[in-house]
Amino acid sequence: MKKLLLIALIAIIPAIAGAGTDKRKTKKANKETTEWRYELEAQATGQQGTKVIKVWSYSKKPSVARNQAPKNAIHGIIFKGAPGIREQRIAPVLALVKNPKMAEEKADFFTAFFADGGDFMKYVSVTDVANDVVKLDRKTYKVGVTVTVQYDALRKALEQEGVVRSLGSGF
Amino acid sequence: MKKIIFTAIFVCLSTLSMAQAKKPTLMVVPSDVWCNLNNYMSEFDNQGVTEKYPNYDLALQSDPDLLLVVSKIGEMMAERGFPLKDLASTLKSLKQQTAEESVTSSKSGDMIAESPLDQLNKIAKADIIIQMTWSINKTGPKKSITFNLQGLDAYTNKQIAASSGTGAPSFASEIPVLLEESVLSHIDQFNSQLQGHFDDLFTNGREVSLLCKRWSGSDMDFESEVGDDELGVLIEDWVADNTVKGRFSTSEYSENKLSFDQVRIPLYNESGRAIDTRRWANGLRKYLKKEYQIEAKLSTKGLGKAIITLGEK
Repeated sequence: MKKLLLIALIAIIPAIAGAGTDKRKTKKANKETTEWRYELEAQATGQQGTKVIKVWSYSKKPSVARNQAPKNAIHGIIFKGAPGIREQRIAPVLALVKNPKMAEEKADFFTAFFADGGDFMKYVSVTDVANDVVKLDRKTYKVGVTVTVQYDALRKALEQEGVVRSLGSGF
Repeated sequence: MKKIIFTAIFVCLSTLSMAQAKKPTLMVVPSDVWCNLNNYMSEFDNQGVTEKYPNYDLALQSDPDLLLVVSKIGEMMAERGFPLKDLASTLKSLKQQTAEESVTSSKSGDMIAESPLDQLNKIAKADIIIQMTWSINKTGPKKSITFNLQGLDAYTNKQIAASSGTGAPSFASEIPVLLEESVLSHIDQFNSQLQGHFDDLFTNGREVSLLCKRWSGSDMDFESEVGDDELGVLIEDWVADNTVKGRFSTSEYSENKLSFDQVRIPLYNESGRAIDTRRWANGLRKYLKKEYQIEAKLSTKGLGKAIITLGEK
């Protein structure tokens, strides 16, 4: 009986430890999102109201970086924008928020919006998880994921929250 | 109690309705270059010189690609809460108005009064013209579109927003698909600049121009001594006192003409009521009459240009 318990414990402990490690890595990935540690590039002109972009995220585990890609994409579209590619004549995607202090001014909204499984998920879908994995050093992977962002819907949602001014506001 | 609530609601509603600045109208038109390249021009003889002007009617009736681009831009601007004035409908309604006026008479046989100025003003107009040009580039079997979108303030003639570029070359895509792609990839940049223009407008006031002239029969000119200074200087002082941060530039000053450009007028008056160029310039007209007993005629061109003519109405 004791043996059985011991075997069970040995089997469970690494699983719990693994889950804990993943949680820590996700937490770290979330921190890196707020610290702008990701890169975006415009990929193509999508269907009306959408933008197709490629997100490069960093993590010790490629799966964590992949999972973080949608959040990074939305964060980037709101605050950073995505540069275009001149050689391929792809137009840049402009950041929705122009006021650099907006993240602090609307901190409560953005904390809830970017929580794991938060509202940001409504505006992004992963289009292509090609095997774009670059091992930068012994501990860091850079992972590229192509996503489609519902740009117009996201802008409207931010307009309703008072984060972005609508074109006709004030008139 | 009910009365108080009713009064409070009424005051709130009227304040809200007054706090709205006048919304500029936008219209998409093909550029003269595009019309010329696609042979949508008409000619007229101007005292022996043949001049060309764009024939929008012909272009809209003949070119499905033009209709597609106009409607796509319109659709995307409406989605941004800024529905556009439609060029085709405006042209149609102008024609209908002219036809109706030509057959309308009163019971005593009088026709509709129309001055030469009214006739001149009867053109398709908007406060901001979105002018577009595109050309199709062909390299072997590949096609691409060079697209140019310009937002022009119709009265200051300034370019207030623009976006241009050449799309990715394609073997397979049809021209309408490439055109749609061009609109989609340029409209955000364009709207972002337009937003910048509107933001500037709310901060620094609306940019307009003011032209002061005099009737030839008027015994006053702008160099006449009135009060303690020349009339032109007094007008200049009034403009300085009634612009946002005193911003304006005097581009012409002569005995017969005073011209002010980059005049930044406030969007609201002291009572919080939205004002436009006519209302603002009417203040100058009233000032001249009240302070110096000078009669003047005020006319405007849309939201952006006021003309004051001294002497009589």
